[in-house]
Amino acid sequence: MIFLAFRQLVSRKRQTLLTLAGIILGTIAFIVISGIMLGFREFFIDQLVNNDAQVHITSKETIIDTPALSTFFFPKIEHVFWNTPPSTRKDHARIIYPAGWYKRLDNDPRIAAYSPQLKTQIILTHYGKAISGQLIGVVPSRQQHVTTIRNYVHGGKFTDIGAGSNRIILGQELLEKLGAHVTERIWISNGRSAPIPFKIVGSFQTGVSALDANTVFGSLSDAQHLNQTPGYVNEIAVRLKHIDQAKQVSEDWQKFGDEKVQSWDQANASFFNIFKIQDAIRYMMITCILMVAGFGIYNILNMVVTQKRKEIAILRSIGFEAKDIIFLFFIQGVVLGILGGLIGVLVGYGLCLYLSQVPFGGGPLGKGTGTLTVSFQPAIYIRAFTLSFIASIIASVLPARAAGYMTPIDIIRSES
Amino acid sequence: MSILLENVNKFFNTPPTQVLTDITCDIKLGEFVSLVGRSGSGKSTLLYIMSSLDTATSGSIKIAGDEISTFSQKKLHQFRNEHMGFVFQFHYLLPELTAEENILMPARKKGLHHKKRDYAHHLLEEFQIKHKFDRLPKQLSGGEQQRVSIARALIMEPSYLFTDEPTGNLDSANGEIVMTIFKKLNLEKKTTIVMVTHDPDFANIATRQIYLSDGKIT
Repeated sequence: MIFLAFRQLVSRKRQTLLTLAGIILGTIAFIVISGIMLGFREFFIDQLVNNDAQVHITSKETIIDTPALSTFFFPKIEHVFWNTPPSTRKDHARIIYPAGWYKRLDNDPRIAAYSPQLKTQIILTHYGKAISGQLIGVVPSRQQHVTTIRNYVHGGKFTDIGAGSNRIILGQELLEKLGAHVTERIWISNGRSAPIPFKIVGSFQTGVSALDANTVFGSLSDAQHLNQTPGYVNEIAVRLKHIDQAKQVSEDWQKFGDEKVQSWDQANASFFNIFKIQDAIRYMMITCILMVAGFGIYNILNMVVTQKRKEIAILRSIGFEAKDIIFLFFIQGVVLGILGGLIGVLVGYGLCLYLSQVPFGGGPLGKGTGTLTVSFQPAIYIRAFTLSFIASIIASVLPARAAGYMTPIDIIRSES
Repeated sequence: MSILLENVNKFFNTPPTQVLTDITCDIKLGEFVSLVGRSGSGKSTLLYIMSSLDTATSGSIKIAGDEISTFSQKKLHQFRNEHMGFVFQFHYLLPELTAEENILMPARKKGLHHKKRDYAHHLLEEFQIKHKFDRLPKQLSGGEQQRVSIARALIMEPSYLFTDEPTGNLDSANGEIVMTIFKKLNLEKKTTIVMVTHDPDFANIATRQIYLSDGKIT
């Protein structure tokens, strides 16, 4: 029967090619759209996850307001009236007991690396030009295991910051705004103390404007010295072994101390809603395209079954059973599905390869090379093939069954 | 191995008509029987009922002693494949296949198409169309198409050949050729042939004639 199925497919070349084209187009559309969408998403998540820590442990700033103080000072009195309503901040601008956190992090098997930081607002001065920015004091050897910052450093290594010799690495945009160059010296102040000279040993460009335009990396001890807060740490950046544990980890740690623990996906929850909508749109589009392709198969096979009534009758009378007839038409749909799916996957892959070379934007979206980011996840290809295959099977089952129900005598009687 | 029909009735529902009434007949092995009668007399229906393609409303049909209504679909198709050949008024050849491939289709069902190739060529030779074995049906004349379809019916060397107006679509010369083939087949291979025809000359070639009139044997 396979022999006959192939003969029938070959003998109506035009229809076969048209049907194939439908399936191929559907498959390609899925692959390319998914490739671009997921490629962008991978890039985006990569930026979110890797430029920044996966879990942040930060000192919590609590606003202390009237009700809080009233219940603390006058627990028995229901209504307290203040002459001057108190309003202030419980200011722990640091993690109270970092050593406790270090111990906890060292013992947690889910942790890949962590890096204590001191973040502080600073003013950078270079030949009379002053710009505010943020200094992140880090231990470079630790920090570069937590984020991918070292991949973005130009003109030096991230570890050139050293430990306490007043050397810094600046965001490229910030460097340009200051009009400074690598190896030059600039002055940094925290606004409360006299400026201290720092040597620029490199610059970085992550593509995230917010980072590139105002961030300065220095060593932890330099930052503590500048801030006049020796031993202070106000953030611990954590990298996990498995990214999907981030939420669980942050929920676990939330219970421990006064600090605020936030995972990267909690910090960027709104993006995930966008991703969900994107997925919904993607699948809706693909369903539409494949439905059209599926209807193509259905239509053509249905027509073929009607055209081939006589032949079905003769096949039945020479001993081919209903299931042979169903198989005859079903296999044609399957062949079209497999062939169309395979060609679609190949062409889609080629198109994705091509698209990934196309210059696109550059700048902040361009990941340095300035081309479109396209995802080549095998899952996309598997899914594209499976979807088009399923569509063609569903589309061919119905006409095939209809052909199987025909009895030879009904056909012969209606013919003569 | 005879075909035995007892009290066979056949009704059609739309419009309600009785096509066959109380048919009892016996077709013996090696007989060449022609079913004759006017159009609408039920001769085609009778042929299809005794050849298992159609079912009777009541009555029994026994082939070689077995009641065919008790056969499973699988067994019925297998029986048709091995023991029955059909030739219709239209050739019903598969247009995608060459003459040779068409002839070998019944053998293909059982995976015998390689073994039967020589026999297919023998049949083609006997029917004087050997040189056209690789032609598609549309490249053959009407008479040649019908001869190919006869070869297809005979490829499994069936005990029974059922044929419904085999010459209905042919000119008289080609009709003669077909009838000669049938006659020879009946004589040499002892194949039981049941033929529906309304051509009295061709009906006379048969060893026995069954006349039908209004669904009854007369």
